[in-house]
Amino acid sequence: MKKMIDQFGESMKTARRWRNASKAAIAVSALSFVASCGRDAPQDTWQPAGPNAERIDNLQRPVFYVAGVVGVIVFAAVAWSMYRYRDRGQAIPEQTHGKPAVEIVLTVIPVLILLGVAIPTASTIFKLAETSDTEMTINVTGQQWWWEYDYPAVGSNIEQYGITAPIVTAGQLVIPENTKVLLRVTSRDVIHSYWIPKLNGKKDSVPGRVHLLRMEGSKPGIYAGQCTEFCGLSHAYMRMEAVVLSRADYDKWVANQLEEYTVPEIGTDAAAGESVFIQQCSRCHQVNGLKNSDGSLNIAAPEQNLVSGAAPNLTNLMTRNTFAGASWDLLTPECRDNVWNASSADFGERYLAGVSTECLNQKDLREWLRNAPAKKPMYADPTKLASTGGLYRGMPDLGLTEDQINVIVAYLLERK
Amino acid sequence: MITTSSKLFYGLGAVSIAGSIVWIIAHDGGALGAVALVFIAIALIFLGGIASYVRDGHVLSTDTEQHDSAPAAQRGPSHSWFPLGTALALGMLVVGLVTSPGIFKVGVALLLAMLGEWLIQNWSDRASSDPSYNERVRGWVVHPLEIPVGGALLLGAIVLSFSRIFLALSVEAGPIVFAILGALVLFFGSMLSIRRGTSTRVVGAVCGVALLALSVVGVALALNGEREGLTIAAEEDHFAHRACGEEAEESDEDAVRAVSAKSSVAATVTLKDGVLYAEMDGYSGPLTSISLQRAWNSSILFLNEDEGEHRMVVTYGKVVESLGGGVERETLLQACTSLVAKGGQQGVVVNIPKPSISSTEGFSITVPGLEGASIEVMVP
Repeated sequence: MKKMIDQFGESMKTARRWRNASKAAIAVSALSFVASCGRDAPQDTWQPAGPNAERIDNLQRPVFYVAGVVGVIVFAAVAWSMYRYRDRGQAIPEQTHGKPAVEIVLTVIPVLILLGVAIPTASTIFKLAETSDTEMTINVTGQQWWWEYDYPAVGSNIEQYGITAPIVTAGQLVIPENTKVLLRVTSRDVIHSYWIPKLNGKKDSVPGRVHLLRMEGSKPGIYAGQCTEFCGLSHAYMRMEAVVLSRADYDKWVANQLEEYTVPEIGTDAAAGESVFIQQCSRCHQVNGLKNSDGSLNIAAPEQNLVSGAAPNLTNLMTRNTFAGASWDLLTPECRDNVWNASSADFGERYLAGVSTECLNQKDLREWLRNAPAKKPMYADPTKLASTGGLYRGMPDLGLTEDQINVIVAYLLERK
Repeated sequence: MITTSSKLFYGLGAVSIAGSIVWIIAHDGGALGAVALVFIAIALIFLGGIASYVRDGHVLSTDTEQHDSAPAAQRGPSHSWFPLGTALALGMLVVGLVTSPGIFKVGVALLLAMLGEWLIQNWSDRASSDPSYNERVRGWVVHPLEIPVGGALLLGAIVLSFSRIFLALSVEAGPIVFAILGALVLFFGSMLSIRRGTSTRVVGAVCGVALLALSVVGVALALNGEREGLTIAAEEDHFAHRACGEEAEESDEDAVRAVSAKSSVAATVTLKDGVLYAEMDGYSGPLTSISLQRAWNSSILFLNEDEGEHRMVVTYGKVVESLGGGVERETLLQACTSLVAKGGQQGVVVNIPKPSISSTEGFSITVPGLEGASIEVMVP
């Protein structure tokens, strides 16, 4: 009787364990399924928006399906074997060794599968590395923790796109649609990695080296990305966006970037902001055309203040939608949605409108100006810069007063 | 019961805890090192507890009659030279405080080593009444550290002595001396290996004499200084080639044999038929205008396909210094290759901190003596 009760108790325990395991498996599966239904996924690798990303997609989908089927078969076989041959006190079965037919089959099948994957993979790699048909070239330089884009006034950039003087911008890469753009990716400090998932794969940016990455967008819009090589304290805040414009809109963007500097009207907040900017900000930030009070050209000296030797060029800040390494929007949420959710036909006009007074995200920009390191960690404690020779890795707290912030915001609003 | 070996672990644990407190004070509240030291202390105290629990594996706690006569309770008989070493280390510490941080750091390292050795020697002397066993016990603890550290120091002394000797010898004499030394080592090594029954003392004596001779010569030549060519190169900052004119200078010697950084060059600049042009990854065709990123180490390779020796000069602005009394001195910011013969190549690495708009003349790559051989350099 006691034995029967013990056996019953054991079988109940086993059943309970199975039920718990089943619940956990269902919960994990449901969570995975729900996660796959996410719509607002700007960095989704399964939604290519350009020929390079499509090539990757065309490769990864069949590989994923094959790997999925193989995975299911292997897991099912393991689970069945574990259940079928579980320890029930039976004798250990006869151990056999050496079955040439089985070994050959189990070797040949994976070889064929891997060959089937390797051939299209190699082909895709070579196609992605193609650069001979480049139509436009842009330098992309990573540093802690933002990306700089400079459009050289060289070769086809001048002849076909009217870039007659270098254009320097940050955070948002702007390219014309259906154009084979070649990015020359490098770094000023540590290794970063450039990745706009909807437009192409990743490319490491390595100090002292130039890596080439083809970028092409099929339709106007904004495509988000993220640095994918851990690069220090604010790696998570090192984002990037690629903006694809129609050719006509792109020409407008180029023309706007090349426009002469406009001096703020005397007596305005913007004019006062220009003075504060020269005193406080132009030590690192370049604004092309800005002049000192003596009439000489104002040239920033980031090499004297920053490890990377560079800070974002703010000449046309308000033509961008983001700041601080694309970590925060310059637009309010409503205005941002208005741009991001625009149709292809409307997108260019809305993007080129830039940031207006009504649409400026005052809260984040002011917080940034008030104390940047409090918003984005950047080793900005001046007492702990011995290892860098007193150089910062990012923007320090400048100790600006509220009045200074007000006039700087007014000045920056005119930078477009 | 606190046994002999557990004392060691408890003591080290206490030192670690004290060290963690000192760390926190010295690093203004920084916790990383303190956490590491506390974890080390926990591990050591745990080991001490185990040693106490097993009574060092010698005497049962219940066997009280054996406690006084137990090997672990006996006084150690050996003499130690570690107090002398500790005194020397303390001396270096004091001298280093006054003279140089390097000596101070060596003193600290030596002091820690001597104290550690002394501590373990004292402990191992009490491990048993058998001195040979005690010596083995000491070896188990310290040999894993002593042998590699000693080997590394010995190797360091040999390498340092060799390097001083070859830096002092002329370029011509270096290979000859190296060949003779190698032949001597091979000769004596072969003699010792083929001769049966050579005592280890003889081998040790030969090695010791060789090491002593090497060290003495190394120290003597280190005091004498490096050869003239290296001294001049050091004055010229080795890779920052100062000569940017048309004429050859001291540092232009052996230009073609100079090492060039050819990996991932930003631009390859070629001089051919009196014309200068550039090629860059990502751009098609020869360029007469190139763009380099600001504040970035740009490696530029110069190929001379023209007759005669030429050098490439990258000019990226100027520095104006005030000499007082309204007098100013302008110095061009330039990076130059050595003179390169036809078919030769050399690279320069240039980091341009300012945009090209900062210079009224603009930035350029030129070849001295060749009018019109010029490339515009744009830095955004």
